[in-house]
Amino acid sequence: MKFDTIIIGGGLSGLISAIECARAGRKTAIVSAGQSALHFWSGSFELLGNVDGKAVIDNPLDLVPSLPAPHPYRKIGAERLRKLLSRVPEILKEAGLKSYGTLDRNHLRLTPLGFMKPAWLTLGDYVAVDADKPLPWKKVAIVNIYSYLDFYPRFLAHGLENRGVKCSMAAVNIPELNVLRKSTTEMRATNMSRFFTDEAVDHLAAEVNKVAGDADAVIMPAVLGIYSDAPVERFRKAVKMPVWFVPTTPASVPGVRCQLSLRDLFIRLGGEFLPGDTVKGGEFEGNRLKRIFTVNLGDMPLEADDFIISTGSFFGHGLIADIERIYEPVFGLDLNVKGGRTEWYEKDFYASQPYMTYGVITDDKFHPYKNGEEIENLYATGALLAGFNALKEGSGAGITLATALHAASCITE
Amino acid sequence: MMTLQQQNISDNNFESCIKCTICTVYCPVTAVNPDYPGPKQAGPDGERYRLKKPLYYDEALKYCLNCKRCEVACPNDVRIGDIIQSARIKYGRHRPSLRDSMLADTDTVGTMASAFAPIVNFTLGLKPVKLLMDTFLGIDDHRTFPKYSSLKFESWYKKNAAEEQEKFDRKVAYFHGCYVNYNYPQLGMDFIKVFNAIGIGVMLLDKEKCCGVAKIANRCVKDATRDAEINLKSIREAVGNGMDVMLTSSTCCFTIRDEYSHVLKLENSDVRDHISLATRELFRLVDEGKVKLVFRKDFHKRVAYHVPCHMEKLGWGIYSSSLMKMIPGLDLVRLDPHCCGIAGTYGFKKEYYNYSQAIGEPLFRQLLESNLDSVATDCETCKWQIEMSTGLTVENPISLIAQALDIEATRAANKAGI
Amino acid sequence: MKDDTLRKEYDVIVIGGGATGAGTARDCAMRGLKTILIERLDFTAGATGRNHGLLHSGARYAHTDPESAAECIKENMILKRIAHHCIEETGGLFVSLPEDGLDYHAAFVEDCRKAGISAEELDPKEALRLEPSVNPDIIGAVKVPDGSVDPFRLTTANVMAAKMNGADVLTYQEVVGFLKEGTAITGVKLRSRRDGTEREIRGKVTINAAGIWGHRLAELAGVKLNMYPAKGSLLIFGHRINRMVLNRCRKPGDADILVPGDTICVIGTTSTRIPYDQIDNMEVTPEEVDLLLREGVKLSPAMAWTRILRAYAGVRPLVASDDDPTGRSISRGIVCIDHAKRDGLEGFITITGGKLMTYRLMAEEATDMACQKLGVNKECHTAEIPLPGSEDTAEDKKRRSHIIELSTEQKAAEDRHGTLTGKIVSDDDAADALVCECEQVSVGEVNYAIEELNVHNLVNLRRRTRLGMGTCQGELCACRGAGLLERHDKCTQRSLDDLASFLDERWHGMYPVCWGETLVEIQFTSWLYEGVCGLDPSEVNVSDNPTQH
Repeated sequence: MKFDTIIIGGGLSGLISAIECARAGRKTAIVSAGQSALHFWSGSFELLGNVDGKAVIDNPLDLVPSLPAPHPYRKIGAERLRKLLSRVPEILKEAGLKSYGTLDRNHLRLTPLGFMKPAWLTLGDYVAVDADKPLPWKKVAIVNIYSYLDFYPRFLAHGLENRGVKCSMAAVNIPELNVLRKSTTEMRATNMSRFFTDEAVDHLAAEVNKVAGDADAVIMPAVLGIYSDAPVERFRKAVKMPVWFVPTTPASVPGVRCQLSLRDLFIRLGGEFLPGDTVKGGEFEGNRLKRIFTVNLGDMPLEADDFIISTGSFFGHGLIADIERIYEPVFGLDLNVKGGRTEWYEKDFYASQPYMTYGVITDDKFHPYKNGEEIENLYATGALLAGFNALKEGSGAGITLATALHAASCITE
Repeated sequence: MMTLQQQNISDNNFESCIKCTICTVYCPVTAVNPDYPGPKQAGPDGERYRLKKPLYYDEALKYCLNCKRCEVACPNDVRIGDIIQSARIKYGRHRPSLRDSMLADTDTVGTMASAFAPIVNFTLGLKPVKLLMDTFLGIDDHRTFPKYSSLKFESWYKKNAAEEQEKFDRKVAYFHGCYVNYNYPQLGMDFIKVFNAIGIGVMLLDKEKCCGVAKIANRCVKDATRDAEINLKSIREAVGNGMDVMLTSSTCCFTIRDEYSHVLKLENSDVRDHISLATRELFRLVDEGKVKLVFRKDFHKRVAYHVPCHMEKLGWGIYSSSLMKMIPGLDLVRLDPHCCGIAGTYGFKKEYYNYSQAIGEPLFRQLLESNLDSVATDCETCKWQIEMSTGLTVENPISLIAQALDIEATRAANKAGI
Repeated sequence: MKDDTLRKEYDVIVIGGGATGAGTARDCAMRGLKTILIERLDFTAGATGRNHGLLHSGARYAHTDPESAAECIKENMILKRIAHHCIEETGGLFVSLPEDGLDYHAAFVEDCRKAGISAEELDPKEALRLEPSVNPDIIGAVKVPDGSVDPFRLTTANVMAAKMNGADVLTYQEVVGFLKEGTAITGVKLRSRRDGTEREIRGKVTINAAGIWGHRLAELAGVKLNMYPAKGSLLIFGHRINRMVLNRCRKPGDADILVPGDTICVIGTTSTRIPYDQIDNMEVTPEEVDLLLREGVKLSPAMAWTRILRAYAGVRPLVASDDDPTGRSISRGIVCIDHAKRDGLEGFITITGGKLMTYRLMAEEATDMACQKLGVNKECHTAEIPLPGSEDTAEDKKRRSHIIELSTEQKAAEDRHGTLTGKIVSDDDAADALVCECEQVSVGEVNYAIEELNVHNLVNLRRRTRLGMGTCQGELCACRGAGLLERHDKCTQRSLDDLASFLDERWHGMYPVCWGETLVEIQFTSWLYEGVCGLDPSEVNVSDNPTQH
């Protein structure tokens, strides 16, 4: 089966580049081996939140030249980064997701444990505040769903009170949830969100109104709107003060929403999404990848002019570690890994872990190498790339998006 | 250390589960039935406890539809559905009931029903009979039974088609399945019509038994294994004679290719790659330029394609949809992937009927809102469920192709005149 | 426990919250002595919580140490009676591989019989049928009454029994000095590991049951006790490979026992002498991991491809019964020292050596000695009276666990808490919700542990309930556990610090085996906690030594 562009990996990076390729009229397919790390998304994209252990607020792109040389941001350059990344809010909007934020200045997002961390783009209904101003509320009501374990009102209150906000806490219930609560494991954000439709939303709002008192705002776990904004809008209309959401631990409602919305946009643009399939390998001619073989499609390969590999880091099985070595399982691409397993980690959990910086090495156009030879119609993007610690830098989403958009623009321009 | 821990996953790969909970997001049962522990708990989490003590087996695993949507979603390739089905077979305490055995034994029931098809169809449609079945067998009285055909496909084939098929140079073997044989021979006829038109003869297997999907689901494993062994023997023989084996049912295809080895633990790797769906083979021939399809100009239909769960798991929906996209007069409507809720015999059982309908509800709503002429799907039980729940006509993609194909022109284009 | 509930003077101060200390406190309290148990960290933080969890039949010692073997089988039978909720009677196999030959095997069966251990020779085929995971190349097999014992549960039950009999219990109190009058020890000076406050407690007799740390305590008391720390490393696999305990039928060596325990199984051990100053820095080296795997797969080939959850190491105290610094007179049996007799120091007893299997016997000997010193004439009943949680018969237990209607988490709780399971509140759906999904720990069980089982932090909670001990090593449950602990503790910052330290503690056991899914799991955990949740050292204090909880 022949396509113009094939993307291996259906996470954030793969979806974004696929959307841009499909939009440019290219016949595009995504092969996705299971669902992606986007499912744990906090609702905020980070661009560059930390340099040398210090939080970055103003003009994060100005710091790009100071990053170490193999860093993907350095390869793209600050100017082009700005151009590429400015597309992101438009794509999100097209997919039906409202977002807030600018490239010139990070805001702070509120984490599930009550910490404030720099972020670039945050979904419209999630807490995002200015780093240098006092919080916009004097008093907030933190409202949980009764018996829901993945939301931590007291940790949130601790964080907010440290910033001078008075907090009240309450838990509410609506009878519609009682059936779900019978299960000992399934009171999860994503499952609850399926119950919060139509009248159930009004019932929830009525309960929240009862406990919110005279608060300036209500802070709730992100348990509404897994498939669309409609329940959120209905809820916000029915609650007497502004409502803000805080993401929960997995799987997260904003994560699933973002995944599904971007996938739908891709399919609307004419793309083929092949879920639950794993690429086993490819055939090369010279420095070009000609076709790939997958587990499901068996002896019927997929051919394309250009390929993008965005299979992620260890979590996405873009990289695999066994007792002796770390390798890229699809094509055996060249990595920046040095040494055996004792070199892969630091004993302190919170140190910068070497394994986090492992990935595929590429040239400045993000073409990877196989046995030292550059593959000229293959691009590597996202968490699969080498040369940065996204966790320590607060740069994961930015790198994922920028490299995806970069690859797509190289292919389509 | 070279051989140690190179692949640190056991055969039963439940331990690859890293507890990300993504499977629970995509489980259609969790959403409607709180008694079901959810795929993560029922599968990998529960398996560790069952290995500790078989007593930990939880009867609520019976609520699993075996739709495999958890497996399609799993980022770590954990065979969650297989783990649950295997656990039901290994640890389930209750013997399959008369009702379950009857629903599972599609061959015997089908043969009997075909012989008396008009009476059976009439009787199964009667309200008092339905109530009796509801009360005494636990088959839900809301359920519409598929009609039985008075002429079995195999009989039709022997009488009307067998001789002609010998004339083709290239041949495939057809695993028609119980549905085509007992309920809807027309699909088998459509398949032969299409494949003959492109110059391929269609043979039947020496001996074909039910693929076993219903028996596996109802834990009649001994019977399923016996049938599977007969099928594999026939398949091997066909493959040995240079024929690939084609199916028109995605569920039968999935069962023979994957469940035989994963659940029944039968060796099928030698023939697995020779077992394929008709739409996949047809697409391959067109894609490789070996075959041309010429479509009629007077065919016009607005069709939504429902990818059956097992088709989603096979990953072959793209072949059926790509073929349908080739038909100029076919306006193909895209659907959000969703389980229809029937899961073979599951939806027939009284205790699951309501769950079954609740699971399928989002799909039915989409279909009813789409102003369709018909619905295309590769699975017969999805067809029953959608027809019963929406009143829409449901057709196999092969049947749609058979309707849309200009047979004479296609024959000519492929020099398939005989 | 509030300070004012503590008595001014005790009959006995027991130092050390392992099985021996807890057992001694129970025995003393049952004999009517005013008793206090003191532990510098948490119960089972030392060697008790860092071994195989093997309920020895004694067979392992039958050839080399018949006396220990006889002790073991006797205690084995007692524990099956008094502590059946901590025990699984899996049975064990001693298997001979071609490389082991059958010489040891022949003598072994005879030695077992002499020691009173039932030893049934099996045809290798029969052994393979009984235990399909065993190496199919075995040339000989002997079935013995080995089993598994949960040392966390066993110790907790002893602590509970001590408390029920009137003993006081203090955790996170380190002995930093002794009170002396003339040539007698009359009490201890304690410093809190949690807030640094100091206090004194007086006691007529002080029993040093601190395992390898007893060496340092003796020094503090002014007497010499020569202990030689031997480190043993072990690996935990993600699920049970084997149903029965598997032993190599040869002279005891490295990695020759695979024990199924609760949801997992454990291969071990290695044995290395280490310098005394390293006893608080237990770390498993890559060489030890390789050795354990290389030898382990000979017992059960499945280890070659089964996921490893973590590695850990414990310290065996090898004791010289005299103060000869060369350590030539090392005993592997129980050592109970009256320091008045040996060193002229009154009021001080050391109980050490021995093994988890003989903890009750050790406690009995130490308590006998204390009673003698105090002039109390009371018999020991610890072998007859069941421990809390085992207050029914093994048959009752079996009957209860056969109730099919119980949910998985209720069955798991039954297995963990036995007859005390009823104390777990399960009055609404909210209490039944699972905190730890891998190990089936409910909100009710967590609350019960916090309220009744001396839980101050997540590591304590883990030891009492298995929270965080499963496949995901805390990824899904650490946060939920911290949330519930905080509701009781009310100190949010401390809870966040505790959460951060707990993840570091989990990682400490994971990095030695950090490949495959274990690496995937930890990357996921890091993304979640440090990334999504923003839990990093700029926000929280992570405790210095991850093994010191």
